[in-house]
Amino acid sequence: MAAEVVTTPPQVAFYFAMISYVIASVLHLSSLAQVPAWVKHAARWAVVIAFIAHGVDIGWRGVEQVHPATSVREALGFLSWVLVGAYLVLSRRKGLSVLGAFVAPVALVVLATARLSPSGDAVTGLSSLGRLHIASATVGVAVFCLATVVSVIYLMQERNLKSKNFDGVLFRSSASLETLDRLSARLVSIGFPIFTISMMLGGVWVAQREQGFGRIEYPIAGVTWLAFAALMLGRSLRGLQGRRAALLTLLGFGAAMLVLALYFLRRSVGV
Amino acid sequence: MPSELFVVGVSWRSAPVSVREKLAFHDEELEGHLKKLINHELIDEAVILSTCNRVEIYGCTSKGSPASAVAQAAAETRAFISHSRGFPAEKLSDVLFEHLEEDAIRHIFRVASALDSMVVGESQILGQLKSAFGASSNYQSLGPVLGRCMERAFSVAKRVRTETGISRGAANVSSVAVELAKRVFGELDGKSVLVVGAGKMSALAARHLRADGAALIRVTNRSPEKAERLADEIDGVACAWQDLEIELSKADVIITSTGAREPVLTKKLMKQAMKRRRYKPCFVMDIAVPRDVESAVGKLEGVYLFDMDDLERLVSENLKERSREAEAAFSLVEGEVRQFHQWMRQQHVVPTIRSLRSHFHEVAAAEVEKAMRNLEKANTEHERQEAMQRLGKGIANKLLHAPTTVLKQASDAETLADSVSQLFSLDSQDESEERSKSSALNPAGLAKTAVPSKKA
Repeated sequence: MAAEVVTTPPQVAFYFAMISYVIASVLHLSSLAQVPAWVKHAARWAVVIAFIAHGVDIGWRGVEQVHPATSVREALGFLSWVLVGAYLVLSRRKGLSVLGAFVAPVALVVLATARLSPSGDAVTGLSSLGRLHIASATVGVAVFCLATVVSVIYLMQERNLKSKNFDGVLFRSSASLETLDRLSARLVSIGFPIFTISMMLGGVWVAQREQGFGRIEYPIAGVTWLAFAALMLGRSLRGLQGRRAALLTLLGFGAAMLVLALYFLRRSVGV
Repeated sequence: MPSELFVVGVSWRSAPVSVREKLAFHDEELEGHLKKLINHELIDEAVILSTCNRVEIYGCTSKGSPASAVAQAAAETRAFISHSRGFPAEKLSDVLFEHLEEDAIRHIFRVASALDSMVVGESQILGQLKSAFGASSNYQSLGPVLGRCMERAFSVAKRVRTETGISRGAANVSSVAVELAKRVFGELDGKSVLVVGAGKMSALAARHLRADGAALIRVTNRSPEKAERLADEIDGVACAWQDLEIELSKADVIITSTGAREPVLTKKLMKQAMKRRRYKPCFVMDIAVPRDVESAVGKLEGVYLFDMDDLERLVSENLKERSREAEAAFSLVEGEVRQFHQWMRQQHVVPTIRSLRSHFHEVAAAEVEKAMRNLEKANTEHERQEAMQRLGKGIANKLLHAPTTVLKQASDAETLADSVSQLFSLDSQDESEERSKSSALNPAGLAKTAVPSKKA
């Protein structure tokens, strides 16, 4: 059954995207060391090609009535595509191409896990409200994911500076701490309203389905929302920034990942 | 023979500063010395590069001078340096180096690209070389060969800087401090700086920060007079020592260089300051010995503390990094040297090619004129065809006459014959003719199989 879903519609674009993501990951990770400029250019182009192929795959599946918001599988594939798209926009700025070393492998793993997992069947009787909830949650989490990548780089670079590790990974290639902190804040401020709308739509959707709010995912999703809400408030009212803000971003995203993992698990075992 | 390049001089590699300073040329002397150099019958072009790390003369021999002229011109330049600087020739020979022809091009390109500099990848040498080029240009001691070589050297230097990491990372303590501050803040535009103490090093570092966009520089010192003096010197504002804690909380960058025996910036003091500034990042550069800042300050949230040892270590890391990148730069320069040398060799044959073309055109034009007259007289198609055939033969015979005669009479006829074969690709032509003959005799590739059967 699962194999049937995987083989239709055609997989050419998917495999092409996967190969391109592998190449992009290898090139980007090797770019963390001192490499000739052409390796960095090639890495970026590999991501561009992967993004296009991935987009074609999503479009192709859409034509075949397999929409991005119908199942966990499609939603995760769409999430990694949004993540890569956002990276391509950001990487044009100096010192941010280093994000590719994190984004390309993450996109690769997410896409592979989603597509090759057996838990991707579409939710039965999915309403428009449900689709809107899944789509907005996917975009929101993708933006949070990028903010988290930026925060991880911030923490690594901060560690390099604090421990005076001038040979450390990212020391020479990363953007400054202030740039990373500001970027993470901006990404959270973009992702937060989208995620908030998604939470509201999800609440209404669950109420409509009369399934109750007893699932463990719901309070954890609440933790995600609270973490990012606290981060936004802390930044604007208390001047929260730097290390603490980065850690709070990681906490929020960790909670979001836990929700996804639980949902994934539930769909896999069919509960 | 055409012009050749040469370099004669001393550098930090070959001579100590005590010798270099005696050989240095001052700007006001350049005109006279350059004119003296190019007035020499063997030298057409000259550039004098005189910096603290090198005194070098780049020259180009006169057009039409013999092959040995380049070595002779270099020897004359050595004598010129000895004479003009009043430096004994025998002592000079120990420290002086010279490069001829391709080696000279290589040296000029490497100097321009800062590959021969004491600090590999430094940017100053290119400016100094451009000034030397400008002076030679003004005093008309530059021509088509050395002038082109220098211009090429500038573009090679640009390639090296952009395509390799040779100039990546600062190479002195003050610049490294700015580089580190940029790793925290990105740009320094609008950042406030506090200088604690009034040492010379802090003034230098503050100037570097100002040049990179730092907005307000405050200076504080136990002695208000010294603070005022330094503030005036670096275009900053002096502030009271008693307000140190408040000033610390306002500063994004703190430079300390007091002469105090005990730490001035304690953990307790900085903790209060950081709390006051809500843990906004603060870059602290302690360039005092003994140190002004307690090492525990570096552990405080938002504080990035670096002392002299850290800065010097980063300088040395950067220099190592530059040395690694230098390998790529050397191979880039090598490619450019080959290209320029190739161009110079082409210049050697350009006059011959020009004469050859003009001679061929003249012969062809004369024969065509004759053929036109014959065509006018021709009444039949057959006569016209004959006139055209005569034209072809006439051109070929006229062009072949002189070389054939020379070839027959030459003492080194064999060498000359080889050159002619090479020039007109006669060997390959013969081979293809042989092939076409044999394929005509043995259609369908049967030749190889036919021979053994015949022998058998």
